[in-house]
Amino acid sequence: MAVKKEDKFPVARRYQIADVQVSREATAVKPQVVVNLIKKAKHPVLITGGQLLKDEKLVEIAVKFYEKGIPIIATGGSSKPLIEKGVKPQSVVFTLHQVTQFLLDEEWKGFDGKGNYDLVLFMGFLPYYLSRMLSALKHFSKITTVALEEFYQPHAKFSFTNLTANKDMYYSMLEEIVNNL
Amino acid sequence: MAFELREGIFAIDEMRNVSIKIGKVIEEAEEWAEEMGPTPKPGIIELRKWDMKLLERYEPFYAPVQDFCNLCTMGPCDLSQNKKGACGIDLKTAKARLVTIACCIGAASHGGHARHLLDHLIEELGEDYPIDLGGNVNVEAPIIRTVVGIRPRTLGDLREAMEWAERELMRVLHATHIGNEESYLDYESKAMHISMVDHVVMEIADIAQIVAYNMPKAEPNVPLTDTGFGIVDKNKPVIVVVGHNVLYSKPILDYLEEMGRLDDFEIAGLCCTAHDMTRVSGGRAKIFGPISYQLRVIRSGIPDVMISDEQCIRADLLQACKAMGIPLIATSDAAARGLPDASDWPVEKIVNALVSGELPGVFLPVPEKVGQVAPLVAEAIFKKHGGNRKYRFFANDEELWNEINKCTQCMSCVFTCPHNLRIDQGMAHAQKTKDLSKLAKLEEQCIACGKCEQACPKNIKIINVIMASNFDRLYNKKGKMRVGRGPIQDTEIRNVGQPIVMGQIPGVIAAVGCVNYPDEAKSLREILEEFVKRRYIVVTSGCHAMTLGMITDEEGQTLYEKTPGDFDAGGLANVGSCVANSHIAGAAIKIANIFAMRPLRGNYAEIADYVLNRVGAVGFSWGPYSHKAAAIATGFNRLGVPVVVGPHGAKYRRAYLGKYFKKEKWWVYDIKTRSKVPIEPAPDALLVAVETKEEAIVQLARLCIRPNDTSLGRQIKLTHYLELSQKYLGKLPDDWHLFVRSEADLPLKMKDELLHILESEYGWKIDWDKKKILEGPIRKYDAGFNPTIVEEVYEKYAGEKPPQ
Repeated sequence: MAVKKEDKFPVARRYQIADVQVSREATAVKPQVVVNLIKKAKHPVLITGGQLLKDEKLVEIAVKFYEKGIPIIATGGSSKPLIEKGVKPQSVVFTLHQVTQFLLDEEWKGFDGKGNYDLVLFMGFLPYYLSRMLSALKHFSKITTVALEEFYQPHAKFSFTNLTANKDMYYSMLEEIVNNL
Repeated sequence: MAFELREGIFAIDEMRNVSIKIGKVIEEAEEWAEEMGPTPKPGIIELRKWDMKLLERYEPFYAPVQDFCNLCTMGPCDLSQNKKGACGIDLKTAKARLVTIACCIGAASHGGHARHLLDHLIEELGEDYPIDLGGNVNVEAPIIRTVVGIRPRTLGDLREAMEWAERELMRVLHATHIGNEESYLDYESKAMHISMVDHVVMEIADIAQIVAYNMPKAEPNVPLTDTGFGIVDKNKPVIVVVGHNVLYSKPILDYLEEMGRLDDFEIAGLCCTAHDMTRVSGGRAKIFGPISYQLRVIRSGIPDVMISDEQCIRADLLQACKAMGIPLIATSDAAARGLPDASDWPVEKIVNALVSGELPGVFLPVPEKVGQVAPLVAEAIFKKHGGNRKYRFFANDEELWNEINKCTQCMSCVFTCPHNLRIDQGMAHAQKTKDLSKLAKLEEQCIACGKCEQACPKNIKIINVIMASNFDRLYNKKGKMRVGRGPIQDTEIRNVGQPIVMGQIPGVIAAVGCVNYPDEAKSLREILEEFVKRRYIVVTSGCHAMTLGMITDEEGQTLYEKTPGDFDAGGLANVGSCVANSHIAGAAIKIANIFAMRPLRGNYAEIADYVLNRVGAVGFSWGPYSHKAAAIATGFNRLGVPVVVGPHGAKYRRAYLGKYFKKEKWWVYDIKTRSKVPIEPAPDALLVAVETKEEAIVQLARLCIRPNDTSLGRQIKLTHYLELSQKYLGKLPDDWHLFVRSEADLPLKMKDELLHILESEYGWKIDWDKKKILEGPIRKYDAGFNPTIVEEVYEKYAGEKPPQ
């Protein structure tokens, strides 16, 4: 059976059909675009969520990000498996809710004291929880947000498309990013 | 103006055109020696200054669910990126208004409930019916005393508090009209105000029902009651009650008791009516489960009649019951459900209409009649099927598999499910392997909202598939819940007041609220068990209390069966239904009063300031979803109690989150040293949503830290915080050093290691001979530290204006 074009790169479908806003929806991006965004960023960071506790592959990917020089803010308990693999997260105790509040403050110097972050990558979150944080950042900050999630996140500036039907594709897209950094 | 007329004969002569009006007659015994504080019966403005203190430190955080407004005809308006609408309101302020409206709805729900109960009970028992909460409760109604400034002694006295609450509700709701507030901070102040009102009306409702219905009065050793599907004897007619107002269900018990037929029926409930039925019946009524069990129970076909009252009940209850042939009796005027009013019909006519199927349901707002009709209907329906109920989600396995095989994995269900549950994967796995285990697993997480079924293009009965896949486990589920005890005793407060304020009891964790858990319900037990074992005081209520009663361990025991019901270290106290949450707030207030002798009467800001700085209590709502939960949490926040919510709580749109790096915001006045001193960011949030149970555990321990902790207390709190962080986050928390004031604060077992870290990583100066911290902490520990952030409180106790 022939593989359709949309099967290769599925359409962006909101994680929740009713999470509708009037403002812009995320641009669905392929891995290379994310690579370029990271390379151009002055102060990027990856925030990891609690789903890393249930998905070893995401832990593996996060470790690779870290090894490529992307600092990690670990939330939701994701720090534990990361630390076991040698990662030193910039923060482990603050929730995504709190981290988002800090990101919204232009005076915040970041956890590393180098100033607020300009590009924030999100990976491994409950979709509905992440969605609210992305909404806050969309409306009240200028930070570029990128959702590296299995579900398409409409309130990010950039998001992976919806990859729920093909987890292998999701992982391979993440791999493609870390391999090209 | 008041005139005092002493005993004796007196005459008033030569007074013309004078009318004498006698208001409330105050008897000597009712007098209350406590001096009136500064804010009795506060309006919107009186406590605004306190709110602004909180909001300055705990900045509101907004996460819009919609970025548009369509509440008036000038709209709809695009408010994205904080744009203004046609009326001038910006996105932040619009969200703050929405939160205020949600809190008004919550307060109105508890208030409507309280008013209804109060009027009914006064009509039945009289205004002078005494408030007697038992010999161990002398500080009854602590919230009413603190907020309203009265000490209610009778049901009639509660009306005064009720009238004040209703007035404030009107005022705050008024402020949400177009063209009023333009400051999101002022909306937050109003949200806090109406949520404080919510706590008052909850207290009114629960006190009224406790005294009138003789519910347990602050008894730690209340009986255990049965919970779960498996506890219902299906060989009897089954009456199921659902909702929050026991006023309509209690007459069923009364009637059956009077007829000597209580044992001939099964009476089981869902949600808080179930709680309160067990409180009025001494454990004879049973609990099916929390509110998420509605569709489970209805579609199981077990009920022979359903009685609904108010709040949190499905808005399609009639439709759901009708589909199963279960007659519905709707009782509350808050939810008449489009049914004909049968108030004036003879009992026989109502019963016939329901049993024959002529009507799917009736609206019957007459409690005594409900008491007669419900058993008659249940018995007649039971006779029809003879105990052989037709439905168990599916008539047979073939029907179940036919449904499963319809699934094409289009995932429409996944994208409408509140939890994005992977129903598609469960279906696919079952189709390929004939193994239902993946679907069965979903049953433990599913809140049975039913949205998936509407989204399914194949019209698969998804809820039934999920429930049937876990049928044996669900259908035989049995547990035990300790019946709601009501208030906390004064003697218990005397015992724990000092260790809580000094910090030796590391904290009070209050698990309250709804069932929108992010994970399997057992995660609630796992979280709370951690704190019970560590000898925190754990209290619970509402659907959280019921959920805990349904989760058994390997030994088949619930946490209630393994834990005493005292308000004490290592205890698990179930206070009761939603309105019993007032006793948790009341306990915090009573600590300030009974232990610290702080006056309550009309003295809210001082008490809240005391609680914020000294009482290490944290609210916890793992699955909040209702407007009432929003009001309860915000009411706790105004009282100085932080609240941790599960990830769905982020959808309340607003949180209160402090920033550790804004050093200028973390200060107090110290009455002892007559100075303004910087403090550690403790607690650093008033409302925060966590994602996982691991994160919840660490945040709860963290938020128990208070500026007033003694060294021993801080040492104990830090020991738990650090241990839990290492256990669940894999390392010491990032901010632990901020909470260290001296070497005596450090956990003993880790002292040397921590001193080294303070020196090497944070640059602190250590005297290694004495193992003493010389330089580094935000402030030094002072045993006489007496913190406040309220100028008036400082002035009251220091006798001078606060320092600048």
